[in-house]
Amino acid sequence: MRLRNFFDSLLIGILWLSGLFILLILLAIIVYLVWRGGPFVSMEFLLTSPKGLPLGSEGGVFPAIKGTLWLIGLALAWSLLPALATAIYLSEYHDNSRIATLINLLIQSMAGVPSIVIGLFVYALGVVALGWGISLLAGSLALAIMIFPVLAISSRDALQAIDQDYRLVATSLGVGNSYTLLRIVLPQAVPGILAGILLATGYAAGATAPIMVTAAAIIANSSGVLLEPVMALPYHLYILFNEHISLDQAYATALVLVGLLLIINFLALWLQRLSERTNAQ
Amino acid sequence: MSLKENLIRIFFFSIAIVSALLLVFILFFILKESGAIWAQVGIINFLTKSTWQPMATPPQFSILPMLVSTLWVAFGALVIAIPFGFACAIFLAEFAPAALARLIRPVLNMLTGIPSVVYGFLGATVLIKYLEVSFDLASGESLFAASLVLALMVLPFIIANSENALRSVAQEYRQASIALGVSKQYTAIRILVPLAIKGMLGAVILAFGRAIGETMAVLMLAGNTLTIPFSWFAKGEPLPALIALELGSATPGTSHYQALFATGFVLILIVIMVNLSINLFLWHWQRGL
Repeated sequence: MRLRNFFDSLLIGILWLSGLFILLILLAIIVYLVWRGGPFVSMEFLLTSPKGLPLGSEGGVFPAIKGTLWLIGLALAWSLLPALATAIYLSEYHDNSRIATLINLLIQSMAGVPSIVIGLFVYALGVVALGWGISLLAGSLALAIMIFPVLAISSRDALQAIDQDYRLVATSLGVGNSYTLLRIVLPQAVPGILAGILLATGYAAGATAPIMVTAAAIIANSSGVLLEPVMALPYHLYILFNEHISLDQAYATALVLVGLLLIINFLALWLQRLSERTNAQ
Repeated sequence: MSLKENLIRIFFFSIAIVSALLLVFILFFILKESGAIWAQVGIINFLTKSTWQPMATPPQFSILPMLVSTLWVAFGALVIAIPFGFACAIFLAEFAPAALARLIRPVLNMLTGIPSVVYGFLGATVLIKYLEVSFDLASGESLFAASLVLALMVLPFIIANSENALRSVAQEYRQASIALGVSKQYTAIRILVPLAIKGMLGAVILAFGRAIGETMAVLMLAGNTLTIPFSWFAKGEPLPALIALELGSATPGTSHYQALFATGFVLILIVIMVNLSINLFLWHWQRGL
């Protein structure tokens, strides 16, 4: 019996340790980045271009921030409406369940496609075949394809979480489907859909592999011209480290990137909780 | 139903079907771009010979070294992540105080939100330095380092999905255990885990798919050599890293370019097969219950 007690407490100990370890990982990453990168992040770092020799060893990351914002913004612009329409079909109009199952399956598989393969596809189609070259347009398209399944699945789930009674009551009152959707179901799903958009934004902001082959340059103005290459935070970090330009600058860039993503993720979680609470009422 | 309602329905349907078929288009396009390489090298040679030398005359294309690296890194990551992930899932589902669980769950989300290039960067500056200093290695880059960092990256997926599987076990089992005076630990390990194990394995397959397609972390950690790795501590270059490194320098239309697309096609096939197997698996499981 004593042995049994011992094993039971041992197990509890192991489980507690593994749970606390998770907290420790995030804490360690943040503390380490702040410690190594914090001293180098300043307004000047955020608002100036890379300088020095080799280029990037001094100065800041302003064009990279701009480029990342352009990439995310355009990627959302390309993919948001198709994703919403797909979600609406899957949640509200799927009378043929076989086709809906197939579409669901395809979109889920799309979510699993490695981002480098999407980069490969856009490279062949946009950069080479259509002659765009390494460009903001190609990169944002690659990111759009990458976040499409995230947007579609999260919006679908947000719509499906809305109480079925609203739809039944609307139908029984003779209200048309599209009116119900636009005025009753969609407004209630907005927090959930927004949370999905934020998650997708964070996903796109951190993606490196697809833009590495389609959009990113070591140095660029990133002024939003569609057919020019751009800088981007994650690629800039990769270059700073990989070309041995400056470790300090790399830590600072990583801190800026992680800070941005943690804020986005935090907002997404908050919205998700908000939408769960409204649905529960 | 009115004409207008029907038109709206058709509108949503056509966008949905076109978007979903994009995946099929991507597959065919990548296959088309790989073009003549399949006939030129032969499928078997492409998958089983040991040299990748695009610049040699004649150039040699075989992805076996990279294929082995990919699988080694991914399985290695799972071996590290599974015990830890399962323990954490059991903790969250059965033992953690509610307040602590409410803290850990969003932390898992935040860990998934950190981009792979940051994991790769930290792995390269901290972990690899540590391996070099403490084991006195000339270079710490290895499949092992890549596995370790990948394990950290897939951990949140394993934990979140395994926890769901554990939570979906009917409450009656827990109540019956309490009524019989069985300890909570025994219930969790001997009753709940066996009941949830299929869902937990589903989580593992999902993580495997992620690990196979991951690019940046393995690119920065695995060491990038094009030889077949014979140990976990050897260097290697997984398939995604090969594509990322060589695509920019391959002239379109050459056999090198085509070989890279053939590589991409193999990679996407592996991932889709993993994905389909998990769907089949879950489908059978749900019917079996």
